[in-house]
Amino acid sequence: MMINKREKNSIVIFDIEGEIRRSDITDVTLHQLVKEQLEAGKKQILLNFDKVEFIDSFGVGEILASYISTHNLGGQLKLARISKKLYLVFQITMLTKVLDIHNEEDSALQSFFKD
Amino acid sequence: MAERRLHKVLSAVVKIKPGEEVLAILVFFYFFLITAPFGIVKSLRDANFLDDLSAKNLPYAYLSAILIAVAVSFHAKLQSRISRRRLLLSTLVFCILTSLLFWALFSMRDHWKGLALIYWMWANLFVVALTTQFWFLVNDVFNPREAKRLIGFFGSGGILGGVAGNLLPGFLAKPDTSHRLLLVSSAFLCVCLVVVSVIFSWLKTNEDRYAASSDRDPKAGRKEPRHVGLGDSFRSVWSDTYLRLMAWVVLATGIVSTFIDWQSKSLIEQNPAAKLNYASFFGRFNAGILVFAFLFQLVLTSRFINRFGIRTGLMIYPVIILLCSVGLGIFPASLALAIAIKGNDKALSYSINQSSRELLYIPVLREMKYRAKVFIDMFLNRFSKAVGGVILLGLIYLAQRRPFAAIGFKPIVWVSFASGAFVLVWIVLNVKISRAYIKEVKGQLAKKWERADGVVADRMDVDTAKLVVDAIETRTQSSTLFALHLYDLARQNKLTPEIRDLLGLKPADAPASSVRPLFEYDAAPWLPDLDDRLPPAEMDKEIREILALESYQKVIGDYAGKVIESKEAESETAKMELAKAIGLMDARSTLADKLDDLLGDDSAKVFQYGAESAGKLKKKSHVPLLARKLGDPRTCEDARSALERYRGTIAGALSDYLNDVDEKPEIREQAASLLAGIADQEAADALLEALGRGQDVLKNGLIDALDRIRSEVPEVQFKGEVVRAQFTAEIETLGPVKSPSDLLPPFKLLGLVYDHEDIFRAYQNLLKGTKDSIAYTIELLDQTVSQDIKERLFPLLESFSGRRGGDSEG
Repeated sequence: MMINKREKNSIVIFDIEGEIRRSDITDVTLHQLVKEQLEAGKKQILLNFDKVEFIDSFGVGEILASYISTHNLGGQLKLARISKKLYLVFQITMLTKVLDIHNEEDSALQSFFKD
Repeated sequence: MAERRLHKVLSAVVKIKPGEEVLAILVFFYFFLITAPFGIVKSLRDANFLDDLSAKNLPYAYLSAILIAVAVSFHAKLQSRISRRRLLLSTLVFCILTSLLFWALFSMRDHWKGLALIYWMWANLFVVALTTQFWFLVNDVFNPREAKRLIGFFGSGGILGGVAGNLLPGFLAKPDTSHRLLLVSSAFLCVCLVVVSVIFSWLKTNEDRYAASSDRDPKAGRKEPRHVGLGDSFRSVWSDTYLRLMAWVVLATGIVSTFIDWQSKSLIEQNPAAKLNYASFFGRFNAGILVFAFLFQLVLTSRFINRFGIRTGLMIYPVIILLCSVGLGIFPASLALAIAIKGNDKALSYSINQSSRELLYIPVLREMKYRAKVFIDMFLNRFSKAVGGVILLGLIYLAQRRPFAAIGFKPIVWVSFASGAFVLVWIVLNVKISRAYIKEVKGQLAKKWERADGVVADRMDVDTAKLVVDAIETRTQSSTLFALHLYDLARQNKLTPEIRDLLGLKPADAPASSVRPLFEYDAAPWLPDLDDRLPPAEMDKEIREILALESYQKVIGDYAGKVIESKEAESETAKMELAKAIGLMDARSTLADKLDDLLGDDSAKVFQYGAESAGKLKKKSHVPLLARKLGDPRTCEDARSALERYRGTIAGALSDYLNDVDEKPEIREQAASLLAGIADQEAADALLEALGRGQDVLKNGLIDALDRIRSEVPEVQFKGEVVRAQFTAEIETLGPVKSPSDLLPPFKLLGLVYDHEDIFRAYQNLLKGTKDSIAYTIELLDQTVSQDIKERLFPLLESFSGRRGGDSEG
């Protein structure tokens, strides 16, 4: 798994590539990266799953942990371009009720300003 | 008026139904008029043989029975080629003419001694042919229950005829002129000709009364295009296990009877008093036997068979013969014992044994019955004498050779031993055939329908059907719910291509108008690609791991708290989603506790999903919440479905609800029904205990629940004394049966302690069957249930089936 960071209009965008699975844990996890940004004062974080091929429960746990950390600091964490499969999983687990999920990056970015 | 008087008179001696009087009297006289000549013919047969050829030649006379085969074969051909009426009448004419011929021949001075043997053979054929034809007619005309009721009456007509016929030679025979009695015999047969003609006329006139049964040919006098030779008849009997058993019984009976005949005649021949006038002696002796047989038949046979059943009826004869044979073995010179054994042989054979044997034919289909009777009654009955004769010759021969001669027993003793051995075989065969009889009766009763809950469970996947309907319903209401339904279907491997297509349909494509409302919305649903890289099994695993995450529990827990507290109408969908999702979680998770609130929600739809999840989690704490909703028609079904999933773990809790008299009746009824679904011994005991406490309000529900358990799990036992007490109480409160459903609870109770299949077959055929199947039903119950139950049940059946035109005497 690879995670690249970029910023756009003070929103931190993490572009995640590859498979997020527990067996492929890298030195730095998604949650740690998100926490770093939060500690740096960044409160708006977008996770881009366009190039994510597979995500397991570990990955979902990372997303949730990131969400909690962001939410607890009054920030916003959103998701964009997740696969149909992942969306289905999120629906089944009702995470769509909690996580703000967008089909496109642009709409996700715009939603930060509407909220 | 005359018929009513006749009915009153006849009712004193026989259980006769209105409308039966004329036919019963005619058949009675028919039998009387053929058995009276028997008395004459047989007395003369024995007398002439002992006079001309002596007892030592009797075994050869028995062998001559083989020639009966030729005559039987000829009779069988005749039977298949001409009508019943013509056959009976022409046989009577033949017998009249040949009687006259023998009278003429015996009248000649110094007639040929061999004539006695020819007469012996003719006499046997005479008896066999006329008796068999009589019973053919009885089997044709009467159904099983009628036959059972009236057989004693007809049989007594036969015995009375025999008595009268034997008394004639007894008092009128003179040593050199006894053959003149053949003229009297012919006269009886002439009157019989008239009676038989009247019977067929009456049957023709009353054809409709006897056309209700498909198993009865009302046009019994019409020629039937079938050819049944002796060979065909033998093959038919041999290929059928039941008939084969009957054949063996007849063979064993005939052999023993032959031994007894020889023993008695051997001892009678040595008696000086008898020697003076054998015809008179045999006449009086046979008359005496028949008086005893007559009284037994008239007074006891039907009552005995009705009270103790066919098996006991079949056993009396061989058991008494066995005792007498043993006695004769010990006292071989005893004329009294010889007379006793012969007397019992004939008396019991003519009365209870013959009646029981004829009843054994009742469940046999008509076509097969005729074939069987040709072989069994006409041929084998006589052939068994020949076999007996061969064995006798062998025994007599061996008795005179070493080492048997050295023992010092007379041939008569060896014959007693052989007789005893054959009687034991006969008894075993009787046991087998009485069991086979019940099986044959059951074979006539088809099961009409199965319990509906079993049919639904076997043929329908109700859960999947509900899931698919719910999925369709939520397609546009909530994508979360829709996804959850799809996931559920996929997990259960029920997301078949057909269901996927159905779920992906647009409204216009809905297969039936009844389903169309479910597809009201135009928006096509999104159907995820579930067969992408991740197979459902792994997806399931991943989802479960996500659900177990502490972070997940916290995030969704907060969300759940807000949803549950919300009173807005829009929150109903969110609550439904939450309730559904909780069903995916572990029962010990913190989110699972949120289900309690959802189960208490006023919304029936929220409860539906909550109940569904509760059924998956199976937490005991949810049981009271679910049970509370059993009393509400909106939520009852969902609560039931959830509680059913708990299976036996909540049997105790359900029993508590059942026995709580303060609880709502609807909840208690559902508790009973749920216990029936659990269907284990604990549930059965709880239900029976509740029934035993006299729960009038729940009574029918409890009986139905018990019946359901019995039908689904035959291994479960029910306390007989409790069931019988309930049955008695049920019958006592029933009163006259007004509708078929009145009979259902008592039958369900019987089904708990007797073979369920048999009892239900009986009930269904009672309601839906033809006149004959009602009769078979009552016959089956007669053979199955205990006497005390019969005494309570049969009067009710009589009042019910009597109105339906059935014959339901117990």
